[in-house]
Amino acid sequence: MESPSEIADVPVRKPARHGFLPIVTNWFDRLFIGIYLFVALELFWMRFLEQSIPLAVCHVLAIALGVLIVWKG
Amino acid sequence: MGSNRTGWLMLAPTLLILGVFGIVPFFYVLYLSFHQWNPFAANPNMIFIGANNFRRLVFDGEFLTSLWFTLKFAFFAVVSEIIIGYMLAQMLTRDFYGKGFFRTIHTLPLIVAPIVVGSVWRLMTTPSIGIIPYYLNKWFGYQLNIGSDATAAFIITVIMDIWHWTPLVTLTLLAAIVSLPKDPFEQAQIDGANRWQIFWHITLPMIRPAILATVFIRLMDALRTVDEVWMLTGGGPGAATRFVGLHIWKIVFPKTDYGYGSAISIIVLYLTLVMCWLLYVGLVAPRVRRSKVNADA
Repeated sequence: MESPSEIADVPVRKPARHGFLPIVTNWFDRLFIGIYLFVALELFWMRFLEQSIPLAVCHVLAIALGVLIVWKG
Repeated sequence: MGSNRTGWLMLAPTLLILGVFGIVPFFYVLYLSFHQWNPFAANPNMIFIGANNFRRLVFDGEFLTSLWFTLKFAFFAVVSEIIIGYMLAQMLTRDFYGKGFFRTIHTLPLIVAPIVVGSVWRLMTTPSIGIIPYYLNKWFGYQLNIGSDATAAFIITVIMDIWHWTPLVTLTLLAAIVSLPKDPFEQAQIDGANRWQIFWHITLPMIRPAILATVFIRLMDALRTVDEVWMLTGGGPGAATRFVGLHIWKIVFPKTDYGYGSAISIIVLYLTLVMCWLLYVGLVAPRVRRSKVNADA
């Protein structure tokens, strides 16, 4: 019979997570990828699109993309 | 609880040093990158200008050119160093006459300061007194002049970097190769695998983490090369070897434009991280296994 302390020491294995990214990630990895893409999108927008579409649109899109990656990636 | 506290106390000096010399300067540079700040101007105050420094750099032809040259330099230097370093490491796993002497001589460039490497190579490549232009002219009739030939200047900077840093690659790959278990190689030889198959299917996958770590170190170094190139060419002729580190130096010190220099530094750090992360994902990151069972679930 195992004591409660021995049971508590057994690591709990979480079920494997299946996001749309092709690599195994934790939430920090996905936050990192989100920030990478946020910066890349902002620079691209400033270089090529800002003359016709305001940068605020880019902020919204980049944040939405970041949230999507952290949540579902 | 007690051991936890002891652990944190033992980590504290390292965390303190990392914080003071790594994290605080990073956030300070990030803060500066959103400001216009010239401490030697008539108005030495910092003025918040939002993303204007970043807006400026995506249109800055000089910066984009220097970035392109830096990426080319890093690619040619790192790839050459990995290939030559691997071949030398393989050679050093075998016994040959003068091996100890060769290993010592071969490792010597590592202990020379980059600024000295740059000045020595400048002496060796100066047309009137340098040994390299002398023999290139004597043997091939080629007049090497890195003061006027942009391509030659670029190639010489790459060769200098290879000369300086290949021993580091050799040592790390040698350590990885000699620590490999013997069994898989013996079994492959018994099964009739040739040398190429052994290299491609056994050696390379087993030393992949060591290669990746070496590429990370060399890539980060190559992307921020300043002193060697500054001594060798001064960024010239024209802007042919004005790599991004030199460009930042020229923005920050002679022009004292700290805000814009900080913005460029942040973008270079960003690009370095992106490249290292892509290499990590491409070479060693664990892939998600999407089996039929999982797809149905």
